[in-house]
Amino acid sequence: MKKITDLIKEKRVYFDGGTGTVLQSMGLPPGRPPELWNIEQPEKIISLHRAYFDAGCNIVKTNTFGVNRCKFENYRELIRAGIDCAKKAAQGREEAYVAFDIGPTGRLLEPLGDLSFDEAVSVFADNVKTAAECGADLVLIETMNDSYETKAAVLAVKENCDLPVFVTNVYDASGKLMTGADPLAMTAMLEGLRVDALGMNCSLGPDKMLEIIGQFREYSSTPVIVNPNAGLPEVRDGRTVFNIGADEFSDYMVRLAEGGACILGGCCGTTPEFIAKTIEKTKNLPYIYPDEKNITVVSSYTHGVVIGSDPVLIGERINPTGKSKLKAALRSGDLNYILNEAIKQSETGAHVLDVNVGLPEINETEMMLRCVSAIQAVSDLPLQIDSTKPDTLAASLRMYNGKAFVNSVNGTEDSMNAVLPIVQRYGGVLIALTIDESGIPDNAADRVRVAERIIERAAEYGIKKKDIVVDPLALTISSNPESAVITLEAVRMLGERGIRTSLGISNISFGLPKRELITATFYANALQCGLNCAIMNPFSEVMMNTFYTYRALHGLDKGCTDYIAYASADSAEPEKKPAADNGSLHTSVVKGLKEQAVSYAAALLNDISPLDVINLHIVPALNEIGEAFEKKKAYLPQLLMSAEAASAAFEEVKKRIPADKTDKSKAIVLATVKGDIHDIGKNIVKVLMESYGFTVYDLGRDVPPESILECALQNSCKLVGLSALMTTTVPAMAETIELLKKHDTDFTVMVGGAVLNQEYADMIGADYYGADAMDSVRFAQRYYDKK
Amino acid sequence: MTYSDIKIITASPEDFEINRNELALRLHTDRNSVLALPDPCVSAFGSAVRYKCAYIRTPVRLSEGICDFGFMRIPGRSLYKNLTGCSEAFVMAFTTGIAVDRLLARLNITSQAEHFIVDALSSAAIESFCDYACGIISKDTQCVPRFSPGYGDLDITFQEPLLSRLSARETLGITLNSAYLMTPVKSITAIMGIKNTQEDRT
Repeated sequence: MKKITDLIKEKRVYFDGGTGTVLQSMGLPPGRPPELWNIEQPEKIISLHRAYFDAGCNIVKTNTFGVNRCKFENYRELIRAGIDCAKKAAQGREEAYVAFDIGPTGRLLEPLGDLSFDEAVSVFADNVKTAAECGADLVLIETMNDSYETKAAVLAVKENCDLPVFVTNVYDASGKLMTGADPLAMTAMLEGLRVDALGMNCSLGPDKMLEIIGQFREYSSTPVIVNPNAGLPEVRDGRTVFNIGADEFSDYMVRLAEGGACILGGCCGTTPEFIAKTIEKTKNLPYIYPDEKNITVVSSYTHGVVIGSDPVLIGERINPTGKSKLKAALRSGDLNYILNEAIKQSETGAHVLDVNVGLPEINETEMMLRCVSAIQAVSDLPLQIDSTKPDTLAASLRMYNGKAFVNSVNGTEDSMNAVLPIVQRYGGVLIALTIDESGIPDNAADRVRVAERIIERAAEYGIKKKDIVVDPLALTISSNPESAVITLEAVRMLGERGIRTSLGISNISFGLPKRELITATFYANALQCGLNCAIMNPFSEVMMNTFYTYRALHGLDKGCTDYIAYASADSAEPEKKPAADNGSLHTSVVKGLKEQAVSYAAALLNDISPLDVINLHIVPALNEIGEAFEKKKAYLPQLLMSAEAASAAFEEVKKRIPADKTDKSKAIVLATVKGDIHDIGKNIVKVLMESYGFTVYDLGRDVPPESILECALQNSCKLVGLSALMTTTVPAMAETIELLKKHDTDFTVMVGGAVLNQEYADMIGADYYGADAMDSVRFAQRYYDKK
Repeated sequence: MTYSDIKIITASPEDFEINRNELALRLHTDRNSVLALPDPCVSAFGSAVRYKCAYIRTPVRLSEGICDFGFMRIPGRSLYKNLTGCSEAFVMAFTTGIAVDRLLARLNITSQAEHFIVDALSSAAIESFCDYACGIISKDTQCVPRFSPGYGDLDITFQEPLLSRLSARETLGITLNSAYLMTPVKSITAIMGIKNTQEDRT
């Protein structure tokens, strides 16, 4: 029998239809896991598969959708029995294949859920190993509504067997997965992982899938599978049934086949009749095998960014070179600073974020993994994984949710041998630097030759030309006046050869005064030569001016709408800034106006000392809103807004205080105790404490007692604030207090949280019960006043 | 597997009003100061939220302290008392969608004030959506107040069979973590008994 991957190159093949639907009609009670019948009633499962093969389908899905070690202790036995049933049904038939069926684990992956990516891969891997032993012909990963879990399942297959892998995801009526990905993003990621077929199943009927199939036809170079439901459930004669019958279903399937679907089948509500009619009506239609799509795409868990004629901005702010604050953040593991940079760049208009965390004194792989995961929790932009270390690239690409930019490979044998296999395994769009063993060529033609050699070598690993973006290197004109001309010529030549390009733009002006003038003009010239991507600073106004004006001038911004929105926001900016005689720092803080508070603080600092700005303006304003809160004349949201305005003003003031003069004497260690993941209350206290000038050592949530003690000792801080929201975690709070006091009776512990009261606090040995955030601040102030 | 008897209700923010008392409670404010919610918070939440509910109508048999739904058997007094006089119930799950979780994660980094406000807004919104959806679901029936796992002695572990019966992973994108807490975080499961009619009783 031919391999299924060969068969789909020649002709349209057919999946079976619904499993649960047929089993329910055979007597499976609602709520009873159908997989148990693999052992309890195998004859019924075999007859289900036979019915589908008799209807003419080529591939049956094993009855193993919900089986995994999280749900069934005897998962291996259920898998073996399920595959055995399908193989018995396929026995003696031509072109009859058994697809080992993998459904979702039922858990959501980190960072939003609590299942780690590695654990998910391991759960699926256990299934795959068993299936491969039992002789399945292929693996079908289906009904996945999360791109990350899909990736975990695909990797489990790729890393544990050689079986072909097909993937179908669940799209909703808006054409997106439950966690946000669209067909472009999914196609990019799955093709990067080299699946053998991809598409959609479940949730929608064939009518709604018709609205989505066009996107697959446009983006996918891989055969597309369509396994729809029999429409939507509706009540007929008191019974709930799916609303599309076999005749109507098969009519739609004709249109789906004409629209580019290569592999047809059914999902919930469909039966052998649906499949038989679909085959009957589509078997003689011309077969459309997808052609190779020459589009370059990087993707996140929501969307793809196409690298083409419309210029792409790659934000460069998460790269420690020349950035002392980022270096400090990386050394101290302060992810908040890094995440803020990511969010600000997203809001400023970057399309992709470069992430480089390389510092000699930190574990780069570990930090890169932490950063990639944390950034993907707060930004939906695709990332560019930027490292010189192949191990770091491999580990990050494996766990990245989407298809990343990979920065970078160069033309040296060492680099190509190390990096190309990684991209072959995990997918990605590779940045190729035009440098080889002889260095950087001093002319454009030779740089193009290096690029072409990298592309040739990449092809040996199955990496397509479209997945390589060449960086012909911008070198400063201060050392070679010809360097811009050479680079621009290389960009033009590469474009003529259908090769996409990227440049680290700002290098061009290194060593010169007013660098942005040179950089922005060079950027405009490079765009004119056909540059596709620029790694640049999206906070630079002149660079963004160049970007928006270029697009408007080159017909890339229909109706100039993006330019107008950009220009309007820019002209509105001065009105946001307060006039010197209208309002004050005090009122800005009281009203919670962050930007105004910063402007007023900056203005005041020209006339009075930093300490006076704090003591005469910020603290009195905070006291006013604090008292209003205590008298119930202001409320928590207002208090928080004021605290944030005060903190922002405070940060402005701190810029004028030399680092060694910063007052760290008023400090507190804050943590939500072990087992508790609710940190909103603790965060409110933190904001307020910071606005009053306290140094806060925030340990986050779910913190073990030992870590709290360690932090307090390390920073010589004797004041500790603990928070708990659940009754079940109050014992952890008691345990923490006991540990602290055992170590040193001088520790003062303040507790707070929804489940606590004075009585509870006394019982667990706390020194103070903070009824609310303001109360906690007042206690901390009294504590330090007494000292 | 999606059962054919599962029904779906979706809503947009314009379809119902968020209960102002509920919002005031979550914001720790009085009812009137709710009016002053910052625009960026309201619009960010409005862009992120995708209200969705899945439910079934199912028989329930009450006997010897157990509420038997066929696909799950729940012992204990609280739900039993709530469902007394009912032989059918709606089993339901509601969510604001995962984009609200992402918004909250982002605000947790950029602004604790906005995080607090949007968190409160989301909590009030999902309660109000439950009220709105229950109004649609219970139309033409007489129902007792809805009851959720975690109330009284109804253990939250029952969220597992309940969500499984609603194919909530597929229909709503709701998953449980190892502590039986739901993601998206602003999600609710509930059971709402249908009072027996005079005819049923006779």
